[in-house]
Amino acid sequence: MGVEPDVISDKMAQLRAQYALKIDDHGNHLQALIKRLDGADAAVRGEILKEISDACHKLAGSGATFGFPGVTAHARDMEQMCIEGLKTDFDLGQDQGFSQRLEDLCLRLRQASAHQSPPPGKAPENIPSSRPQLHDSTRKKVLFVMEYTGPTAMQVLLEMDHFGFEARIIGHPAKLLDDLQNNGCVDAIVTGLVFNNDEGVAHAAIEKLRQDPVYQDIPIVVLTTLENMAARLAAVRMGVKAYMVKPVDMADLVDVLDRVTRRSQTEPFRVLIVDDDESLAYHTELVLEAAGMKTRVTADPVNIFEDLDEFSPELILLDLYMPGCVGQELAAVIRQREEYAGIPIVFLSGEADKSKQLSAMEMGGDDFLTKPIHSTHLISSVRIRVTRFRKLRSFMLRDSMTGLFNHTSTKQFLDTEIARVQRSTEKLAFVALDIDHFKNVNDSYGHAVGDRVIKSLARLLRQRLRGADLIGRMGGEEFAVIMPESDLDQAVLVFDQIREAFSEIIFHANETQFHVTISCGVAEFSHHRSATQVSDAADKALYAAKHAGRNQVVKASIQ
Amino acid sequence: MSFAMVYGDAVMNKGELGKILYVEDDPDIQLVAKMALETIGRFSLSVCSSGQEAIDNAVGFAPDLILLDVMMPGMNGPATLTNLRAIDILHATPVIFMTANVMPVDVAHYKSLGAVDVISKPFDAVTLAQTVQEIWDRCHGR
Repeated sequence: MGVEPDVISDKMAQLRAQYALKIDDHGNHLQALIKRLDGADAAVRGEILKEISDACHKLAGSGATFGFPGVTAHARDMEQMCIEGLKTDFDLGQDQGFSQRLEDLCLRLRQASAHQSPPPGKAPENIPSSRPQLHDSTRKKVLFVMEYTGPTAMQVLLEMDHFGFEARIIGHPAKLLDDLQNNGCVDAIVTGLVFNNDEGVAHAAIEKLRQDPVYQDIPIVVLTTLENMAARLAAVRMGVKAYMVKPVDMADLVDVLDRVTRRSQTEPFRVLIVDDDESLAYHTELVLEAAGMKTRVTADPVNIFEDLDEFSPELILLDLYMPGCVGQELAAVIRQREEYAGIPIVFLSGEADKSKQLSAMEMGGDDFLTKPIHSTHLISSVRIRVTRFRKLRSFMLRDSMTGLFNHTSTKQFLDTEIARVQRSTEKLAFVALDIDHFKNVNDSYGHAVGDRVIKSLARLLRQRLRGADLIGRMGGEEFAVIMPESDLDQAVLVFDQIREAFSEIIFHANETQFHVTISCGVAEFSHHRSATQVSDAADKALYAAKHAGRNQVVKASIQ
Repeated sequence: MSFAMVYGDAVMNKGELGKILYVEDDPDIQLVAKMALETIGRFSLSVCSSGQEAIDNAVGFAPDLILLDVMMPGMNGPATLTNLRAIDILHATPVIFMTANVMPVDVAHYKSLGAVDVISKPFDAVTLAQTVQEIWDRCHGR
C-alpha cells in the first residue's frame, strides 16, 4: 500500500471540504421535516419520523469518516429518538417536547459541523512521544468580543487567554453574523451595548442572532457602563445570560464565562443496566442514551463486579427477578463492597406489590420504578439520583471553594498513583506550590479578595494542566499537583509557564490593581523511594524557591 | 457456523484479493471508499449505487469480494445478498456488510445471513483497505 501520504491527505481534505458544505443542506432538510411533525396526524408523523430516521442513519454512518464525530454522535441520537418514537408510540401526538428535543439535537448537529477533527495522514506528528501539550482534549473556548474600540476589548483579549479562552475582537455589531460564519464555532459572545453613542446597534445585532437557527443559542454576556433598569430589562428580553457593569473584575468575568459555557462539557452520566431480558434492557438503554447518558448492559449478575470496576457506573438499574439471584440479594452483595456502598441502586420491575417493593429497598435499593415506565419519568428519575450522587461524592473528595481535590484525597491519589507507576517505567512528577505573600493580600484587601486570588489560581491550574493531572488544594494558599507521564524537566517547563501566566493576571480591589506570584517545588518520583519522600522533596524545593526570592520554579535535589 | 461450513471449500483455494464489488447508495461515502480502496488499497473497484445495479454488474465483473451497505432504498443489503447468492459464480464470494448498526445482536444477525464480517460505519478511510484485507486473510486461514 505504498501511496504517497500527501496524495491521500490532499484528496481526503478535498472530500472533507465537499462533505462539510453539504451538512448545512442536510440540516435544512431535517429541520423542515421536524417542523412538519407538529400538527400532523399519527400516520403522517410515522412517515416523517421514518424519513428523519433514515436521513440521520446516513449522516451517522458518514460524519466521522469525514472528520465530524459530532455529526455522527448527534445524528445517531436523532435516529434513536425517532426509532424510539416509532416503536413505543410514547411520544406520538402527546409529547409536545419531542419535536423540540429533536430540533435541539438537529441544531447541535449543525453546530458540530464546525468541529472537524484533524485530518489523517499527519497523525504521527501529533502523537506526543513525551508529555502531551497543555490542556489536551479540551480545546480553547472561543469568545467573540464586540466592542467598538477602547482598552476594554484589548484587556479582555489578553487576560482571557490566561484562562483558556481565545478571544477574538470583532469591530462592529452589524458584522456579527458574517464574522460568526467565518469563524466556525464560538462558545460565547461578550458585548458592550453602546457603539458610537448608539444604543440600538447591539440590540439589532443580537435580535438578528436570535433568529438565526444555527447561532441563536450562543450565550451572550453584556459588559457595559449602562446601569439602569430599562437596559437590564431589555437585555433579559434578548436572552442575555449575564449583565455586568464596568469596571469588571476579570476573575468575575471568567467565573461567568465558565458558567455560561459549561453546558456541553459535563461528563455524560454512566448507568449500568442489569436485566436478563435482552429486549427490555435494550429499550432502557436506548431511552437513556437518547437522553445523552452512557450505558452498559449486563444480563449476567455473576460478573457484576467486573462491570462495576471497568465501567464505574454512577447508578445501577436492577431488574428484580433474574435467573440465579434475586435483585435485592444482588443489591446487598454490591453494598458489601465499601467503594459501592454509596452508589444509587434503582430497581426496575413489574412487581406491583408494595410490601415486596419495600423489602427490596431494605436490602440497599434507593428507589423502585414499576415497569412499564414512561421514558421521561425514567430519564428524570435517573438524572436526579446521579446528580445528587455526583454532588455527594464531590463533597467528600473536593475542596468546596475551588472544586479541586482536598488534602486527604490528594494524598490518597499520590499513594495510588505511585503504586501504579512503581510497576512500570512511567515517570511521575509531583509539584508543591504556594502563593507568594498571600498574607499581605488578605491583610491589604480583605479575605474576599484573597479568596478570589485562590480561585483564580485554581482555575488557571485546571485550564493549563491536562485532564490526567490531579490538582489538589492542600489548605490555605498551598496547592499540589500530581502529573502522570511527566518527568522533572517537563513538569518544570509546564509550571514555569503557569507561574508566568499567573503573574500577568491583574486583580482589582479597592479601585487599585495588583499582581500576585507563585513559587513551585518540583520532584520526580523515580528519584525518591516513597510517596512521603517525593512530597517532602517537593516541599523542600518549594522552600528553596521561597528562600531564593519567590516567583520561581525550583527542582528538588536528587537523593 | 464457520465460514467453510457455509461456503464449502472452494473459496479456500482462492488467491489474492484483487477485485471488490462495492454497493453503496450514498455518493459521499462512495467517494471516500473509492479513495480508501483504490488509492490506498490498490484494489480494483466496481462501485454500484443500488442492489439492482450490483446484480446487473456482478457477473461481468466477477468480484473476489463484495462490500455491501445494509441500509439502501429499494433493495436493502440483506435482500441484495440473497439475490447475489442466487448467481452461480457468486454463491461462495465472501460478503462484508457495512452498517451503522453494530450492536452485537445486529452483527450476529448479519453473520447468520451469510456475511463473513461486518464493518462499522462511520469507517476510518485510512484503515479501511487494511481492514478489508485482514478479513480476506482471515477467511483464507492466513
